Amino acid sequence: MLPLDEIHSALHKVPWFNGLTVEHFNKIASLARLRQVKAGTIFFREGDRQDYVYIVLEGRVSLDIFVPHHGKVRFYTAEPYDVFGWSSVTPGMRQRTAGAEAVLESTVACFDAESLRQLAENDHDFGYLLMRRLANVVASRLMVTRLQLIDMFAGPVETVND
Amino acid sequence: MTILQQNPSLPTAVYPDKLLLPLWAEIVRVIPEAEGVTTLQLKFVDPQVQELYHFEPGQFNMLYIPGCGEAAISMSSDRESAAGLIVHTIRQIGNLTRAAARLKIGDLVGIRGPFGTSWPLETIQGMDVVIACGGIGLPPLRGAINKIIRDRTRYGKVTLLYGARTPRDLLYQSEYETWQKAGLDLQVTVDRGDENWTGRVGVVPMWFYHFKVDPHKTAVLTCGPEIMMRFVIYEALARRIPPANIYISLERNMKCGQGACGHCQQGPYFICKDGPIFPFSTLENIFNVEEY
Amino acid sequence: MTDKNPTIGSSVSLPKSELDNLLANLRKMGFQTIGPCLQDESIVYKGVQGLKDLPQGIQSEQLPSSYRLIQSGKPRYFDFIPGSHSWKQLLFPPRHTLFTVVKDGSWQFKENEDQEQSYALIGVRACELAAIHVQDKVFLRSDFSDPVYRKRREGLFILAVNCLDPDATCFCTSMGTGPKHTTGFDLCITELDEVFLVEIGSELGRSLIADRNFDFPSAFVQTAANQAIEHANESILRRLDTSDLPGLLMENLDADQWTDVGKRCLACANCTQVCPTCFCWDATDRVDILGKSSVRERIWDSCFNPKFSYVVGGNTRPNIRSRYRQWLTHKLGAWQGQFGVLGCVGCGRCITWCPAGIDLTAEVEAIRAEVKA
Repeated sequence: MLPLDEIHSALHKVPWFNGLTVEHFNKIASLARLRQVKAGTIFFREGDRQDYVYIVLEGRVSLDIFVPHHGKVRFYTAEPYDVFGWSSVTPGMRQRTAGAEAVLESTVACFDAESLRQLAENDHDFGYLLMRRLANVVASRLMVTRLQLIDMFAGPVETVND
Repeated sequence: MTILQQNPSLPTAVYPDKLLLPLWAEIVRVIPEAEGVTTLQLKFVDPQVQELYHFEPGQFNMLYIPGCGEAAISMSSDRESAAGLIVHTIRQIGNLTRAAARLKIGDLVGIRGPFGTSWPLETIQGMDVVIACGGIGLPPLRGAINKIIRDRTRYGKVTLLYGARTPRDLLYQSEYETWQKAGLDLQVTVDRGDENWTGRVGVVPMWFYHFKVDPHKTAVLTCGPEIMMRFVIYEALARRIPPANIYISLERNMKCGQGACGHCQQGPYFICKDGPIFPFSTLENIFNVEEY
Repeated sequence: MTDKNPTIGSSVSLPKSELDNLLANLRKMGFQTIGPCLQDESIVYKGVQGLKDLPQGIQSEQLPSSYRLIQSGKPRYFDFIPGSHSWKQLLFPPRHTLFTVVKDGSWQFKENEDQEQSYALIGVRACELAAIHVQDKVFLRSDFSDPVYRKRREGLFILAVNCLDPDATCFCTSMGTGPKHTTGFDLCITELDEVFLVEIGSELGRSLIADRNFDFPSAFVQTAANQAIEHANESILRRLDTSDLPGLLMENLDADQWTDVGKRCLACANCTQVCPTCFCWDATDRVDILGKSSVRERIWDSCFNPKFSYVVGGNTRPNIRSRYRQWLTHKLGAWQGQFGVLGCVGCGRCITWCPAGIDLTAEVEAIRAEVKA
């Protein structure tokens, strides 16, 4: 566990945290742990019952799904200040639907999701800010997913003369 | 002399009095770039044409494969970087482009051109440049990238965002290091990666969330599938970059390349002669009209 | 032969039989005389020798999707309104061989020697001449000059005719193109029962008339001609209000009317074929079975054709609605910015020859009404 001010200074680099009140910031910072990991470190696997939400501070974490005949398909990479594992914050989702692996040497901040959910429950102002941030994360992830789904680089389906 | 000097600074390979008659060029090199993508490097058979022929990045040639027809293919490099050769990276998507991919060294190809507008490399000097492209949209920008690198000090921060479907589809990988060393911030992303891929997975427009742009002095050059360009434009406009500083390369069915056959029109513009490069400000009213 | 000297800008009274001699003289000079003939219950443009080939005593009746010829019994040769043919097919041929490639070791070109074609167009209406002038702006430009069109246009002889009996689909008055000719012809005929009143428009026209047995027109002939022209003017009832074009169309690309007309239009491309200003074309290669030679041809195309706007990954105009919209917004909209004039000359062919009876003047009016509402 790193000293509190190191955690604080790391979190202050993330734009969202700077919008919080001092009280809220301290509350959420108290839940944070910093982890520095080597490339190849797996944070969680599909199916894990694991309850953390993460923010990448440095490096890169890929999210992947294992597809038979295709192997491990990486469908998203979380870059610095990206959130991953956010489904923990929502009520309901408790099993991981994807895996998360550091593909580069990375530093992440992880938050115990149960405590975060408690925090949100007890302090609705904070809870609102958290959910609002989460909605933005999901929205941006949805946009990216839609564009990936459209498969814009795929060739045309029919064969025609030029 | 067979060259028509329509524009004294842009000698062309076009017969002024013969409609659609191309000039012959010989294939000097064939480079397989990725699955379904091949680069042909060409040299005009007539040495005088070869010497004088001149184009700007962003323009295109009409390539004629005898017996198959013609296709509009962008210049895929500048002449200086390619030892004077004419470079065309071609994606196989139909009969003609598949025939082009089967050609061998020594085969002849007809060329008419250059046609169209070019990337405004002089206009954007002094600005930060974001080059956002994907798939087969990188080749039309490679000449611009090389020219910017040769004139590096005339530009501010230069970022190159390049996306492809999978790591195997990334083009020109052997040049990435050169570009980075020359002072380009290169961000490559793929739609999906495999086990061995440690690069980014995501889409090109997403990258605007990860770095700040100064809307007062940033120009965006974008080329690729129209959907990708549309979202790049959304993100650029959301960051208050003026539409006049966003340049896009459009593609339409082209038959003549000279604004004569009517095929490539979008609204009042002939994409082959008023484009293919446009500042978005001229297209704002018609770009998002469905099926226009 | 008389020793009277006609001048350019003046008119003469010509006995109708003299037209035969005039055409013979043109042919001696190397012109192919092309004019209207009765064929397949319509009027087509082909080689004419003289009066015997012209549709004597024929009048036309046109409505949306209807073209009929009737016998009038009058001793007139130009009483009809032309049919689906226009002079475009001579200046801008529907099929034209550009060159041949042959494989003799490696590929080589064999150019198509475009034979010299000197055409004398007999019976050009004012809207048709206006259409030629519009196509001049399309095919003869500073940045691109079509060699095929240019060669044919340069040697063109135009014997114009003033329309005296416009049909119901004509609206040249709205487009400022007719029914009376003003300029751009070598000779211009206003036909009366007994004689042709011929206005001289050029030196070549003058020299051809000078050789003929003509008279200076009597006051009666002049008056009768003027009255006939006046009557023609007033008989044109179809209107296209152009005062708010091109903006009306270019700024209302999402109007419901486009969907409406898109349901009626069959995308048969008739309108683009018969329109005297439409200019879209395609280039095709015809390879022989051994793959040793290939002929490259230019052929007419149409923005209504399904593959017209095909690009990699799809078609930018997959629906008839968008293709009709493209045609009309180009013809009455984008054309203005591209060439400095609207693309429509008010000949009405597109209305007559549309099997669905679509009338662009009504479509414009419907859009106007929708926008105002």
